[in-house]
Amino acid sequence: MISEQAKQRMRDLASRYPVARSAVMPSLHIAQLEEGYITAEGLQAVAEAINLTIDDVESIATFYTMYYQRPQGKKIIHVCTSISCYLRNCDALVEHLEQRLQIKRGETTPDGNYSLKTAECIAACSSAPALQVNGEFYEHMTNERADALIDALDQELGIERRV
Amino acid sequence: MPELIITKNLDVPGIDSLAVYQQYGGYTALAKALREYQPDALVEMMKVSGLRGRGGAGFPTGLKWSFLAKNNMPRYLCCNSDESEPGTCKDRVLMERMPHRLLEGVIITSYACHVQTAFIYVRGELTRAAEQVEKAVDEAYAAGLLGSNILGSDFSLDVIVHRGAGAYICGEESALMESLEGRRGYPRLKPPFPAVVGLYGGPTVINNCETLATVPAIVAGGAEWYASFGTEKSKGTRIFCLSGQVKNPGNYELPLGVPMRTLIYDEAYGGGILGDRELKAVIPGGSSTFILGADKIDTPLDYESIAAAGSMLGSGGVIVISDETCIVGAIARMSEFYRDESCGKCTPCREGTFWMTEILERLEHGHGEMRDIDLLLDICDNVSGKSFCPLGDAATSCITSGIRLFREEFEYHVTHGHCLTGPGSKQQAHETVQAVGSR
Amino acid sequence: MPEEKKDELIHLTIDGMPVEVPPGTLVWAAAQQAGIEIPIYCYHPKMPPLGACRMCFVEIEKVPKPPQTSCTTPVAEGMVVHTKTEKVLKARQGTLEFLLLNHPLDCPICDKAGECDLQDFTLRHGPGKTRFDLHKRHYQKPIPVSNDVLLDRERCILCQRCTRFSSEISMDNGLVMISRGFRMEVGTAPGHAFDSVFSGNTTEICPVGALTASTYRFKARPWELKHTPGVCNNCSVGCNARIDTRVDRVTRLMSRNNDAIDDGWLCNRGRWEFGYVNNPQRLRTPLIRRNGQLSAASWDEAISYIATRLKEIKAQHGAQAIAGIGSTRTTNEEAYLFQKLLRQVLGSNNVDHQHGYFPGPRDQLTGKPWMMTNSIVDIEQASHIVLIASDPYQRQPILNLRIKKALRKGARISIINAAETELDRLATLKLTVPEGASAGVAAKIMLKQVLKNPEVDLTGHEEIRTLLQREDQVIRAGEDLFGARMTTQLQALADELVGAQGAILLYDEMATLEPGNEDLAADLQAIAVLTGQIDRPGAGVGPLFEDANSLGARDMGLLPDSLPGYQALAEPGLDYNEILSNSQVKALLVMGANPARHVADGKLSSGLELLVVQDLLLSETAQQADVVLPAVSFAEKDGSMTNVDHHVQAIHRALRPLPGARADWEILTALARYLGAEWDYTHPGDILLEIAGQNPFYAGLTWEELGAQGVRSLEEQEAAHV
Ligand SMILES: Cc1cc2nc3c(=O)[nH]c(=O)nc-3n(C[C@H](O)[C@H](O)[C@H](O)COP(=O)(O)O)c2cc1C
Ligand code: SF4
Ligand code: FES
Repeated sequence: MISEQAKQRMRDLASRYPVARSAVMPSLHIAQLEEGYITAEGLQAVAEAINLTIDDVESIATFYTMYYQRPQGKKIIHVCTSISCYLRNCDALVEHLEQRLQIKRGETTPDGNYSLKTAECIAACSSAPALQVNGEFYEHMTNERADALIDALDQELGIERRV
Repeated sequence: MPELIITKNLDVPGIDSLAVYQQYGGYTALAKALREYQPDALVEMMKVSGLRGRGGAGFPTGLKWSFLAKNNMPRYLCCNSDESEPGTCKDRVLMERMPHRLLEGVIITSYACHVQTAFIYVRGELTRAAEQVEKAVDEAYAAGLLGSNILGSDFSLDVIVHRGAGAYICGEESALMESLEGRRGYPRLKPPFPAVVGLYGGPTVINNCETLATVPAIVAGGAEWYASFGTEKSKGTRIFCLSGQVKNPGNYELPLGVPMRTLIYDEAYGGGILGDRELKAVIPGGSSTFILGADKIDTPLDYESIAAAGSMLGSGGVIVISDETCIVGAIARMSEFYRDESCGKCTPCREGTFWMTEILERLEHGHGEMRDIDLLLDICDNVSGKSFCPLGDAATSCITSGIRLFREEFEYHVTHGHCLTGPGSKQQAHETVQAVGSR
Repeated sequence: MPEEKKDELIHLTIDGMPVEVPPGTLVWAAAQQAGIEIPIYCYHPKMPPLGACRMCFVEIEKVPKPPQTSCTTPVAEGMVVHTKTEKVLKARQGTLEFLLLNHPLDCPICDKAGECDLQDFTLRHGPGKTRFDLHKRHYQKPIPVSNDVLLDRERCILCQRCTRFSSEISMDNGLVMISRGFRMEVGTAPGHAFDSVFSGNTTEICPVGALTASTYRFKARPWELKHTPGVCNNCSVGCNARIDTRVDRVTRLMSRNNDAIDDGWLCNRGRWEFGYVNNPQRLRTPLIRRNGQLSAASWDEAISYIATRLKEIKAQHGAQAIAGIGSTRTTNEEAYLFQKLLRQVLGSNNVDHQHGYFPGPRDQLTGKPWMMTNSIVDIEQASHIVLIASDPYQRQPILNLRIKKALRKGARISIINAAETELDRLATLKLTVPEGASAGVAAKIMLKQVLKNPEVDLTGHEEIRTLLQREDQVIRAGEDLFGARMTTQLQALADELVGAQGAILLYDEMATLEPGNEDLAADLQAIAVLTGQIDRPGAGVGPLFEDANSLGARDMGLLPDSLPGYQALAEPGLDYNEILSNSQVKALLVMGANPARHVADGKLSSGLELLVVQDLLLSETAQQADVVLPAVSFAEKDGSMTNVDHHVQAIHRALRPLPGARADWEILTALARYLGAEWDYTHPGDILLEIAGQNPFYAGLTWEELGAQGVRSLEEQEAAHV
């Protein structure tokens, strides 16, 4: 559900910019914050707030990779696999996380807790390999640090230790 | 240790807050600019300082400001904080740690260019950076550093922080404006250039985050002082993002013209190649620039020298590749980036990056054929100079330079089905070096 | 002199050939003019340059980074362009190779094969073979993007013509690009149809077979089609169309650019609603009612029967017992002959057709006949457009595109309408007329405000004030219904018109029939006159007519109170409603109309002794007729039509007429001769000559002169009597 406050924020944004249309990206961010991904309702709400067609909004939402087209895990892990991290063996890190979470890159755990994704250069090149969890950076990663991170996240999510 | 300009005080605790920033002299440059200079004089000052854009192309900043069309359309400033070039990680640090320095630069630049609305376009993935900049903007409004009649002058400015949402192409200035206007990030036809018809049709200045963060120091220290750093044509300092297979990767601010060797080998900076291996190649300005061989290690890091050596200083992302790495895999990885980040507007880039990546991947996995190597070069030729914007060109630089420098590695992949060097090669298979965690 | 410079031509050479073009011309267009083909995909002359497909490369001397895209490069004095250098040929081949990487090999079953730019350019500019030996991308074969349009994403070359049409021309943003890079595809929001009335244009401008029309799929191979220049018959805009036929059937209509009228577009109605032409139920023989049943008769039988009955009725009841109802979709020549038959051969002025309500044949204030005073092109020059009780999107669709063109140039659009309209989303002002109030009252409120405006010069028009004063009560009641806010908005709009650089006020012809709108036409005309928004570029006022020849029917005197050319009759005949209700009418001739739809229970007067109907199909009216005469459609005959901005345009026979059926003008001629008149027309051109000799709005026109694009004849001229 897109809350009335969220819709109001979208409308406010539309008047904050010199041209209402500029508010489409921040409004999509708001819609995604409300529902975890861009739903049909989210599209509709953004379209109404800014006076665009839903097709128009869909076109923008699918151009930018941060607007998810389907539901995601509670913790979205983005491991950078671009050149600087590649040179620092990020591929091993991804494989390690795949094993630890028992999913392949691009997938979400069946309990809906984690999504594991590879990402393009996240501007942490000189602290490679690096990853982000819900936007927060974890740099100079090792397999051990990755394990510790997942442990901490498991705890936060109240997940029993896996065997 | 040379003098720090942009990253000065970067490590001071709490410098991200307005109070601490001001304790360390923050916003005195703004006060000085408003008090002592007419806008035109500031444009002149930038010209004299020799400051060149840090976003990639190295265009003289003062000159860019002076190109703004004189008409009655509203003018805009866009700060390009979309930092996404592989190998580049300086703008994020500036925004996270010292957002007020950037903001001060934005305000001074807006004053110099008669801008009343400025946008800071922060890459979507950089959540913390955006929050820090937003917080700084809020603080600045509360302190009268933004809004109407800044510091009692008759200059007023509105700043909007706009977050991207995952698209490398939006770092390209015209795509950035499209994105800001709420559209798909397609680059625009040029001419007209942004300085004439830019955001919302108004004359627009677009500068990189680091470029703008340098402006306050120039106003404070004077154009001549700034110009005393660097070389004849590449003045001042810039942040080099050193990454890849060096012992101490990191962001290092150095005067332009410092030899690459210093940055990579000096104990104060890179400290040498990871695992004390041999240097194989350097990508000097982010993944869009041509790969240089180890023989170019003594090239000074300035725009002209790097160009003479056959590459570009680009975004300042110096990527170090050691002899442990097979070039085919590295190039395949870079190519994937351009395939995924091609906006799709033009045919050669959209289809060419797709095809090149397919071929590189099959070479990498040992399914390639000898003719694939020349085919790759020919596809590059059909993309480079033929695509709509420089992204297409950029996608070819690592391939053409990589094949030129290391053709035998490609051929080896065809004939042997695996790498000539590095962990993927047969003789190294047993002594795989774990780079992970080796800092 | 900057003025003079404007007209100066730019000189350049292309492949060694000197070319002269106006400044601002694109190199591509200059080459086109010189007869040199440069292949294009993304560029479309009606849209701003995009430069995306990278097909139109040329090399330009002295430009540093060759090759250049000719679709984005304007010409410059002294420019030297080469279109066939090695560099250019390689770059073009490269682009074609890229486009073909993922293109399927289903040309044999592709609708576009034979008129496909990808096929044609590959033949002429492409590589002979492919170097791509990997898997092609696959998508589900055609998916509907609407009921009318199917999308085959495998064939799409992502040139964006279709999506740019949707965003920049029709501005409905219905068809869009989804995803990006090599994953990019054309589409809509999930589950949402591309339901624009303009969607058909995308199937035409798609350079490949990616977008196809459901009605045309697998119906014909392009090379089997015969092309005939025609004019769409579906509304008053009169868009130029190319009628494509195959073996006595219309297979499709394609646009045939006329900048002055359609600007190169067709709406879906025009493009696809020709089913009646091919309808198997079409009448193929005259019918005469015998023993209560309509049964087949020969043409001779039918015509002589009608003639006999008409003479009898005239003898028994007098000429005034005969009446005629004409059509808004037949040609000028037919409308003209119809009234001539009634007036001159049968002696009755009881002639009319179904139309809006206008006080008299001409506007009292200006002395002009009732029609739009501005041209269609003027719309795009207007600074203000006011749509009152009109919805071009639904009724004159292509005008909606012209209004949007004005919008893109900065025009302010105001809409006064009780219903929602498609343009509301883009309008500057939308006033939804409340229940019970009418557009007519809104016009009166505006007129009153105009009269109050100190800048308005009333000299010579004082009587308007007196007239309006009589309406004061109506206006007050209206203001109450509208409420204070909307009243103020209407008044502000009226004031805006006074100083406007160019304003155009448009209302729907048929809205004048609604209660409360009796004065709508006259009041709006008065507003335009008083605010000076008439008779100058980008300004005007007038009705948006309903049908392809609504205005022609009026011009031709299918009116009870006026002869051709709006010569008022002192003693008018019966009007449309009277003809249908007056029991004195004993014989009724109906040509291409269906008045049964406008009488209470669908039953025409039982007092009728003779009802003759000329039509394509057995309409409700024809079912009640005594004699039915099978007519032919616009696609089967020659003739002229007059569109909403008074362009007189020729239609041409594209199909062999349906055997057994005849053109209305032929039917009328035959009947007149049976009645003793000496009519010897052998072609509609003969009739047009007669019209031109009498009707001051057609003076001097000839069939040949109408040419391919028609003639806009607006000035009333001294007719040279023949
Ligand atoms: C594909 C592409 C990506 C770019 N990405 C960035 C970027 O992330 N950040 C940036 O500052 N400039 C980027 N640029 C350069 C900008 O277009 C522009 O030149 C720069 O922002 C100008 O600022 P400057 O003069 O201060 O360097 C990019 C250019 C291209 C062609
Ligand atoms: S569907 Fe046709 S017009 Fe649209 S992008 Fe594809 S090829 Fe171009
Ligand atoms: S037609 Fe010129 S680039 Fe497409």
